[in-house]
Amino acid sequence: MIDGILGFAVLLVKIAVVLGILLLLAAYLVWMERKLLGRFQVRLGPNRAGIFGLLQPIADALKMVTKEDIVPDQADRLLFLLAPAVVTATALLMFAVVPFGPDLTLMGKIVPMVVSDINVGLLFVFAMSSLGVYGVALGGWASNSKYSLLGGIRGAAQMISYELALGLSLVPVVMLSGSFSLVEIVRAQARIPFVLIQPVSFIIFIIAAMAESKRIPFDLPEAENELGAGYSTEYSGMRFGMFFIGEYVHIQVLGALVAVFFLSGWRGPVLPGPVWLLIKMLAVAMVMIWIRATLPRFRYDQLMEIGWKVLIPVSLINIVATGALMMLF
Amino acid sequence: MQPIVDPFPLSPWIPGPFSLIAYAFAVAVITAILLFVSSWLGEKKPNPEKLRPYESGVIPTGTARLRFPVPFYLVAIFFLIFDVEGAFIFAWAVSAESLGWTGFLEITFFIFVLIVGLFYVWKKGGLDWRPQRTRK
Amino acid sequence: MTIYSAIFYLLAALIIATTALAITRRNLVHAVVYLVISFFGSALLFFLLGAPFLAALEVIIYAGAIMVLFLFIVMMLRIEESKRRIFPLSQWIPAAVLCVIYLGMLAVILSGIEGDMRLETAVAVPAAFSMWIFRHGWLAVEIASLILLVALIGALHIGRRPAAADKKEAQ
Repeated sequence: MIDGILGFAVLLVKIAVVLGILLLLAAYLVWMERKLLGRFQVRLGPNRAGIFGLLQPIADALKMVTKEDIVPDQADRLLFLLAPAVVTATALLMFAVVPFGPDLTLMGKIVPMVVSDINVGLLFVFAMSSLGVYGVALGGWASNSKYSLLGGIRGAAQMISYELALGLSLVPVVMLSGSFSLVEIVRAQARIPFVLIQPVSFIIFIIAAMAESKRIPFDLPEAENELGAGYSTEYSGMRFGMFFIGEYVHIQVLGALVAVFFLSGWRGPVLPGPVWLLIKMLAVAMVMIWIRATLPRFRYDQLMEIGWKVLIPVSLINIVATGALMMLF
Repeated sequence: MQPIVDPFPLSPWIPGPFSLIAYAFAVAVITAILLFVSSWLGEKKPNPEKLRPYESGVIPTGTARLRFPVPFYLVAIFFLIFDVEGAFIFAWAVSAESLGWTGFLEITFFIFVLIVGLFYVWKKGGLDWRPQRTRK
Repeated sequence: MTIYSAIFYLLAALIIATTALAITRRNLVHAVVYLVISFFGSALLFFLLGAPFLAALEVIIYAGAIMVLFLFIVMMLRIEESKRRIFPLSQWIPAAVLCVIYLGMLAVILSGIEGDMRLETAVAVPAAFSMWIFRHGWLAVEIASLILLVALIGALHIGRRPAAADKKEAQ
C-alpha cells in the first residue's frame, strides 16, 4: 500500500515536471522565435518586458487570459468551444510515450524516465496526430466565417496528406529496431544513430513534420495575407492562445520525435539524458525557425504535389530498398 | 498469444497504461482550465459588431458554410486507402527481421501494387491541384 | 466484479451512448464527432482486451481517416442540417427485421452458455500479430492490396464525375 502511494507520488511528480516543462517551453519557444526572427530581419525583437524581453511570454499569457472570449454569431457553440482543446490535448498527449532519460534508481526502486512505455508507442503518436486534424477542421467549420472554413479545409487536407509521408518515413526505423516502443527505438540506437543509416527517412520526416505543424513554408491554413488567420480567425482570448500553445507544444514534440527516431534520443556524452533530449529538441526547433525566416510560402498545388508526388513515392521506395539491404546483410 | 493473469499491471512504478491514464487525466485537467479561464477572467461586453464574423471589414454576405470543392474529397479518399496500406506495411515492418525473404517478397509485391495505383492516379490527373486554366 | 470488467462496462456504455447520439443527430457534423468518440471508445476496448496494435489502428484508420472522409463528404454535399426525416419509414422495416434476427441469434447464443463463462483475454504483442498475419494470411494481404488498387481507381473515376458536373453548373 505504502509502496503504491509512493509510486503514485513519484508518478505525479514526473507528470507535473513533464507538463510543466512542455508548457513553459512552449511559452519561451514563442519568445525565442520572435527574438530569432527579429535578428534574422535585423531587428531587436521583443525587448521591453524584462531583460532581453524575457518576461514577454508572461505578459502575453496575462493578456490572453484577460481578453474577452467572443463566440461569433451563428457559430456552432459547442464545437467552437471545444476545438482548441483538441489541438492542445493531442499535442500534449503525444509526449507521453517519449523517453527522456535512462532509468533512474530511487531508494532501490527503478523509476523509468518515460511517462508511458506502451508497446505501440509510435502508433499512439500517429493516432493522436490523426485526431489533431479534427481540432483544425472543426474549429474552422464551427466559426461560421469564410476565412476560417477555408483555413480549416486546407489544414485538414494538408495534415492528412503529410501524415502519410510522416508515417511511411518511419517504417525503416521500425524495421531496424523491430519495435513500436520509443524506448526500444532509442535502445536500438546505442551504437549508431539512425540518421546515419537512414538519411532519406530523416529528411522526409523533417519535411513532413514541418508540414504537420503547419509552419512557414507550409502555413497555408493560416496564410495571414489571404485568409486572415485561417481557422483561428474568429478565436480570441485563451482559446486563441490554446491553438498557439498546441502549435508550439507540437513543435517540441516533433523535435523530441526527430531526436528519438533519428538522433539516438537522450543518448549523449557527459551531460545527463534529459538535458541531451532538450538540446536536440531545441536544435530541431531552431532549424524550423531558421527555415521559417528563410523560405517563402508554397502555393497550394506545390504543397500537395510535394506531399503526394515526391515524399510518398520516395518513402515507399526507401522502404523496399531498406528491406532489401536488411535481407542481404 | 498466451492467456494472461494480469492484462495490465496497475502499479504506478511501471510505465504502462496506468501512467498513461494518469497523464491523460492531467492533460484533461490542464486543457479544461485553459479552456474556461478566459471566460471566467475575461471581459464580457458583447455587441453585434464584435460578434459579426470577421471579413476584413466588409459586412459578410451569404452563408459561411461554403461547399467543399471536390478535390479535397478525393484527397480524403486517397488518404484513407493509403492509410490502410500503411497499416499493413507497419504490421510487416515490426517483424521484418524474423519474417525474412518471404515476408520481404510479400511486402515488395504489396508496395509495388500501391505504387502502380499511385502512378495511375497521378497520370490520370487525380493529384492535380492547379486551377484548370494553368494546366498544360 | 473486477476492475477490468468495471472498465469494460463503462466503455461499453460510452460506446452505445455516443453511437446512439450519432444516429439521432440532425446535424451531421455533430453526428460525425459522436461517431469519432464512439470509435475511440472501441479502440480503448481493444486495448483492454489485449490487442494494442488493433486499438492503435482503430484510432488511426477509423477515427483518423474514415471519419475525416465522412466530414469532408458532409461538408461537400452541404447537408449538415437536414430538415426532413433522415430515415424514411421504408428503411425502418428492413432495419426492424434485422434487429429481430439479431435478437434471436443473441437469445440462441445466450441459451447455449452453461453457467459462468469468463472473458478470456490474451496479449497480442504487435510482433506476434504481424508474424501471424504474414505467415498465415499472406494471400489475404496480397488480395487486400489488389482490392485497394481497385478502390483507388474507382474513387478517382467516381470523384472526377462530380467535378465535371460542377464545372458545367458554373458555366
